[in-house]
Amino acid sequence: MKRWVWTESYTAWAFMAPGLALIAVFVFWPIIYGIPLSFTDYSVISETHYVGFDNFVTAFHDKNFLISLWNSLLYVIIVPIIQIISIMMAILVNGKIPGVKIFRTAYYIPVVTSMVAVALIWSWLLSNNGVVNFFLLKLGLINDQVAWLSTSSTALFVLMFITMWKGLGYYMMLYLAGLQGIPSDLYEAARVDGASRWRVIWSITIPLLRPHILFCTLISLMGAIRVFDEVYILTKGGPGTSTLTSSVYIFQKGLEQFNFGYASALGLIVSILVGVLSVLVFRFNQKGGVNPY
Amino acid sequence: MSATLRPKKWIAGIRLAVVYTLLLALALFMMGPFLWLLSVSLMPGKNVFSNPPAILPTFIDFDNYVKVWQFMNFPKYIYNTVVITALGVIFNVILAALTAYPLATFRFKGRNLVFTLLIATMVIPSSTAMIVHYLTIQWLHLTGSFLGVVLPSAVSVFNIFLMRQTFLGIPSDIRDSGKMDGASEFRIWLQLVLPLVKPAIAVISLLEMMAFWNNFLWPIVVLDDPQKYPLAAALTFLNGQFSYNFGWIAAGTMISVIPIITVFLFTQRYYMEGIAGAVKG
Repeated sequence: MKRWVWTESYTAWAFMAPGLALIAVFVFWPIIYGIPLSFTDYSVISETHYVGFDNFVTAFHDKNFLISLWNSLLYVIIVPIIQIISIMMAILVNGKIPGVKIFRTAYYIPVVTSMVAVALIWSWLLSNNGVVNFFLLKLGLINDQVAWLSTSSTALFVLMFITMWKGLGYYMMLYLAGLQGIPSDLYEAARVDGASRWRVIWSITIPLLRPHILFCTLISLMGAIRVFDEVYILTKGGPGTSTLTSSVYIFQKGLEQFNFGYASALGLIVSILVGVLSVLVFRFNQKGGVNPY
Repeated sequence: MSATLRPKKWIAGIRLAVVYTLLLALALFMMGPFLWLLSVSLMPGKNVFSNPPAILPTFIDFDNYVKVWQFMNFPKYIYNTVVITALGVIFNVILAALTAYPLATFRFKGRNLVFTLLIATMVIPSSTAMIVHYLTIQWLHLTGSFLGVVLPSAVSVFNIFLMRQTFLGIPSDIRDSGKMDGASEFRIWLQLVLPLVKPAIAVISLLEMMAFWNNFLWPIVVLDDPQKYPLAAALTFLNGQFSYNFGWIAAGTMISVIPIITVFLFTQRYYMEGIAGAVKG
């Protein structure tokens, strides 16, 4: 009997060995190694020294880093907006009307296309002589052409819009899955009681979607704070530092200027920030009490 | 009877009209940009910034596609993308299925520990992973190779959980009956269990296919030679070099986007189940 138990655990580890080895190297190691790295001045070109908390002191005096942190936090504005719009979209496509599946698919297309393609399309649409300006001028909403992505006051918000536009379909599908898990007799009971449509949404749908709201909020929160692709492709943080987000700044410091030690310190600060924010979301949503996976 | 029914029907009709109007408006908002790109790509010589904007093509000509195909060496980039994507999908499917199987069906010491550690990685964010990955890939002498592109995302904790969830639903008799016949654990896994979890394999394949197909940054970081770039990375290159030739860029972008959209359209049922399964469990 004892021998059999041993064999089974031996086989188990043999099954898991390749996967766990890769996870150790590419998931655990970055988490672990990032910490000591952030206390050094490792930079490939010169000798590496232990520098104590110097990187962290520098970070909090680094104006560009502080701006990038602020921009990343500002990006979080999209989190509640994404939830509201995608829940409404999910309710809209949850009906059993003919052709609704085609619409679901259509809304999902931006999710499956690459950010490179999406960024390219929107950069054209949003340029000075682009389609967006054409329509806004026609409608009288603006008086002059706006260079949406190269004006410091609009660029960050335009990027937020693009992030949202690309992600809405994804969150819609997650919420749709939640909606379809709500037993229909609950709705019928509410209708018998004479509840209005909005009342039903507010008192039945939203509370029952709570685990999904928590999950989607967490994912979109992390996505927002770590936003990279769209910013890197479209503005590289510019004009000036108006769209510099923390991920872009860390990438510039690390993989463009090869300041690995400093970049790791910045990464650690951001990781702690994300961790704290996630805990806050959990607290805020405590009644949901759900394991996202 | 009919007097009470008629206004109700009327209201239902209006409601349906409102719903379809909303659905169509949203569809235009989500699909419009792609349709516009398609129409730009099909009209050589037409300016993207023409006034009024050309939403629908007034003529159709594939000249942009022919020219950009010849100029960009697309077969090479498509080959790179396909190899990277195939490697990524194969690694992810095999490794997730292997790693998740004992976690779901075996009893062994350390199972809970492995499980807890895996969950921990999903909670602790790493903002500098890419930097450490770069150092690791360099240390393994894999810079410039497709393997270097694929390896850091060859296995994901998310996929392991998805796979484990599926294995949990398989009756244990199957493993027992395999044992009775004297099959090894590996053969039971390969020949008896895997065929039963095809939907989950399909889901992982699809999710990873899209992720690898669309990935542009890591390939640029790891691959020193632009000739090895996959499509998404090559497009940023094209965009930088020919920012004036809108038709070519539009056609190039369409070429990169069409395969993945086609795959999605044909497999969306599995795909949707997969992302929905992410919240359950």
